[in-house]
Amino acid sequence: MIRLVRELYQYRGLLLSLVQRELKARYRGSFLGFLWTFLNPMLHMMVYALLFTVVMRNNTPNYAYFMFVGLLPWIWFSSSIGGGASAISDRRDLMTKVRFPAQVLPTTVVVTNLCNYVLSLPLMFLMGALYGQWPTWHIIAFPAVVLIQLCFTTALTYILAAVNVTFRDLQHIVMNLMTLWFFATPVLFQLSTIHSERMRMLVGLVNPMSIIITSYQAMFYEHRLPDGEPLLILAVCSVALLWASSSIFEARREEFAESI
Amino acid sequence: MQTLPSDDAIVLRDVVKSFKKRTIRGEYTTFKSELLRWLRGQRLPKEKGLITALRGINLVIPRGKTVGIIGRNGSGKSTLLKLITGIYAPTSGEMQINGRISALLDLGAGFHPDFSGRENILINGIILGMSRAEVRARMDEIIAFSELGEFIDEPVRTYSSGMYMRLAFSVATHVDPDILIIDEILAVGDEHFAKKSLAKMTEFKAQGKTIVLVTHDLGTVDRWCDLVAWIDGGYMRRVGPPAEITKEYKQAIALAEAQSVVFTPPALTEGGGALPQVNVTPEPAPVAAPSPVRITGVCWKGTTGELVEALTPEQGAEVCVEYAADAGCSDAEFELSLLSSDGRTLYETSTRMESVALPQHLPPEGRLRFVMERVGLLAGEYVLRVTARCAGSTVVERRTFQVSAPQVDRGVFRPVHRWVVEDAAAANRPASTQANSVAS
Repeated sequence: MIRLVRELYQYRGLLLSLVQRELKARYRGSFLGFLWTFLNPMLHMMVYALLFTVVMRNNTPNYAYFMFVGLLPWIWFSSSIGGGASAISDRRDLMTKVRFPAQVLPTTVVVTNLCNYVLSLPLMFLMGALYGQWPTWHIIAFPAVVLIQLCFTTALTYILAAVNVTFRDLQHIVMNLMTLWFFATPVLFQLSTIHSERMRMLVGLVNPMSIIITSYQAMFYEHRLPDGEPLLILAVCSVALLWASSSIFEARREEFAESI
Repeated sequence: MQTLPSDDAIVLRDVVKSFKKRTIRGEYTTFKSELLRWLRGQRLPKEKGLITALRGINLVIPRGKTVGIIGRNGSGKSTLLKLITGIYAPTSGEMQINGRISALLDLGAGFHPDFSGRENILINGIILGMSRAEVRARMDEIIAFSELGEFIDEPVRTYSSGMYMRLAFSVATHVDPDILIIDEILAVGDEHFAKKSLAKMTEFKAQGKTIVLVTHDLGTVDRWCDLVAWIDGGYMRRVGPPAEITKEYKQAIALAEAQSVVFTPPALTEGGGALPQVNVTPEPAPVAAPSPVRITGVCWKGTTGELVEALTPEQGAEVCVEYAADAGCSDAEFELSLLSSDGRTLYETSTRMESVALPQHLPPEGRLRFVMERVGLLAGEYVLRVTARCAGSTVVERRTFQVSAPQVDRGVFRPVHRWVVEDAAAANRPASTQANSVAS
């Protein structure tokens, strides 16, 4: 893992340029251009807001803002996983023609989506202001939560990217699992609205994304510090996972150029 | 990769590369086929699923040399390049690379069609191993080299294929590597750009960079390379001076065609599907094998028999070859070639080609004169090569010589000519009477 990270640092110029390019390329050629970075999550949110406030009659106060707080990091996570799975297998042009550390590619996906997330934060604050929700000092925990999510997401992405090179079915499986995972994570609903005690424990603690999402919600929506204990455990687990996935990645990467 | 100070840029020892075979009887390994095979209880023997592209390559490339790699399609050339570049890892064997490598295996790696030429230079340069600062510093140089002008700020998708290749080639050649690896891409763009590219390669050579070149153009190999490696069926067949190796290679191909050897994909064939062995007379060093005929002297002489050092285009001259022959030497042949300084053959002839009546048994000592009424070459440096063949052994002598001329005309040779200047009226009259001739 240390070698992996060191090489990433060595090739940070490449990583940076690729991220820059991805950010610019995404909406290149579209009329509204970079505005789509804000419009996409906005419209996404509005669809859910319509469904859950008008159709389903949810009684969470400031529901749209609440949902936005959880939805944005979820989009970061799910797009990273979705894009990361095929990050290596889709770039045959690069992998078979140029030599560079392969981990740059999945990392690019994760970092690009992180940038998108950070860029859409002002929108979230703006929306909070509309609902009269101003950020409080509790957001000092924000960098830590982001770091843990970054660690966890990167670890998963590495495994998926490495395995998907030889087992292409994975990207389709992942796509479908992500939908299930989304509904098993308290993005659209508050964790406290789950009535069954055991179910709540299951969703809240076994699902790492729930710990992360509820932490964001604690900071921005409930204005309190996130629960430290589960976060700490998750942090340790994420680093362990990252170590394991780096080893898997490293062991397989010699095959990448030949297999794709 | 080691950075030990070494005289060799690339050292390969017993490098073997095999690939896993992905298809079985033309069928991709899918879940279904795997399941069926598992249900039927068939197991694939391990070797069956392997394709061996390189079967043990030994190659040492000294620093600063230009090395050409030739061989038939599928003989493993590109695989070797990818190994050297580090895209593939060898299955077994040892590799040592000293220096920063830049590989031009494919032009325009990572080009994004929606981005402008300028933006693509940045990303492509970084992918090829430059730092951001380096690319920025060389940006103007690269743009100037590509000759794209104002198109540089247009999206790459609007480029013609020639423009695209020019841009890509410009970036690739500005990477400034220690070792440059090129896979059959020298011919980019029109005549003018191809010339520029060649000049760039010459510059690389002059800077003492190591160049590894894969090509099917044997002319390029002859002209450019210091050393040629011939890969055949995954083995290193021969390594040596270009002229010798390309000649044998051509002979082997001709022989294979004559014997109507079926060309099969070498990697799939037992023993590598190598070309047939050629019984070439290996051009030996003169000391190695005492040849029945020896060239004891080669010199230029003027019309009156005096020795000349430098020639002029208009003078008459002769090549004087002195030889010594053993008693048993019969059926000898002398070959004479004029080469340009970069090794291109300008003219070649031999006593056999022109049916010159040599004595059946050469005298113990003799002289052969190649008399030219007029040298006819333009100013420049040339090489004279005299080859004597007898009883399967070959002796070669080389002389460089200079032609100097006050004239400033260009090209290789100077035909006998004169200019005639006429006015319109004179054109209708018989030319010989009114011609105002200027002897050159």
